[in-house]
Amino acid sequence: MRGVLVLGTVVAACLLLLTVQTRGRSTPAADVLALFTTPVQSALAKVNRAAVNIWSTYLDWKNVRAENRRLRDENQHLRVESLQVSETATENQRLRRLLGLQERLPLSTLSAEIIAREWGGWVRSLTVNRGRGDRISRLTAVISPEGLIGRVIEVRSGASIIQVLTDPASTVGAHVVRTRTSGIVEGDPRGTMRLKYMAREGGGIQVGDLVVTAGAGGVFPRGIPVGRVRAIDDRGSALFHYAVLTPVVDFARVDEVLLLTGDTRHDLAAAFPADGGG
Amino acid sequence: MKTVFLLTVFGGGLAHATLAPALRIADVAPDIPLIVVVLLALRRGPEFGCAAGFAAGLLQDAAAGGLLGVQALTKALVGFGIGAAAGRLAVTQPLVQVPGLVLLTIAEALVRFTLLQMFRFPAPFGELMAYVVVPQALYNGFLGAVLVFALAWSDSLKERAS
Repeated sequence: MRGVLVLGTVVAACLLLLTVQTRGRSTPAADVLALFTTPVQSALAKVNRAAVNIWSTYLDWKNVRAENRRLRDENQHLRVESLQVSETATENQRLRRLLGLQERLPLSTLSAEIIAREWGGWVRSLTVNRGRGDRISRLTAVISPEGLIGRVIEVRSGASIIQVLTDPASTVGAHVVRTRTSGIVEGDPRGTMRLKYMAREGGGIQVGDLVVTAGAGGVFPRGIPVGRVRAIDDRGSALFHYAVLTPVVDFARVDEVLLLTGDTRHDLAAAFPADGGG
Repeated sequence: MKTVFLLTVFGGGLAHATLAPALRIADVAPDIPLIVVVLLALRRGPEFGCAAGFAAGLLQDAAAGGLLGVQALTKALVGFGIGAAAGRLAVTQPLVQVPGLVLLTIAEALVRFTLLQMFRFPAPFGELMAYVVVPQALYNGFLGAVLVFALAWSDSLKERAS
């Protein structure tokens, strides 16, 4: 019953409104309604505008975010490309130097790539991608454009292990270029080398002197740069004294090497810069 | 009750003012106040539906700038009718509500057209039905379905929580 009353009231109100408007009195009726509806409409319009603004701001933010992400990706991609170009240029330069050395050497060589490094201190070695199939034999000398790296101590199928000069078990007969003082270069657990068993009477060596292979043992050709004198330990009364050497090759950074596969009875001093600078 | 009534009327009006233009597809916009009136009349009964329909329609009339009272009357009738039917027929089922919303939109349009004919409304009936009423009715049905399922999901969440 109450529902019918509500419906009747509403229908009556609507019909009254419509009638008033058709009788030409639309203005007062609209004006009365406008008193209530205009503030509501105004509020709704404000909310609408605010919602649209928020939406637009969100879309702008989203677009900027997407663009920012795209630009970041592009930037990263370009950086990687730039690094690749730089890396390729460096590798190219390295390989050119290695090829240059290979052409200058009077003996047969085989180029190899370092595929692993053992840098523990107990053992210091490099693994190259040449092995039994390449007719590599044990004790093959290994060099780089800067100087001597070491010798092959183990040959496997497809790979060989090189004992580097700083390995504590490494020994190489060598002499100081300027004074011709002979000695034995031994590796050191600290990653340096020592030129030992230098006779006292043949002294006069100085810091910075270049030490090269002596070529006496038949393993290493003569004249390959080994290291530079960094410090001299002169014990005065001792029969021999020794010098601490810095290797001419940075073993941690070398990537390509040459294995000397031919006759090692050559003097290779001419193939390397006279100052040992590589 | 008053709060729900105000929320219905102004919420529907607000949604119509803000969302309807954004939801326009091929120049067809949904009649959001009608959907809100129908869905709430189903839950609150004929009196609420009638009053909410009247207020929401009046607001739409005022906003549209046409004859005041036309949509107020048609929506009040729809609100009352569907509210009354909710107690007697199985109109609370979602599968009934959605086609029902389509039919109610068409019915509301027919009543509105009849009323406007009394005031010499110029638009031809066929074109009005083909280009305005039927597309809007279908859109209302689709949007109503979304709302019905959203409400059903919300109810099930409330039940689980309690």
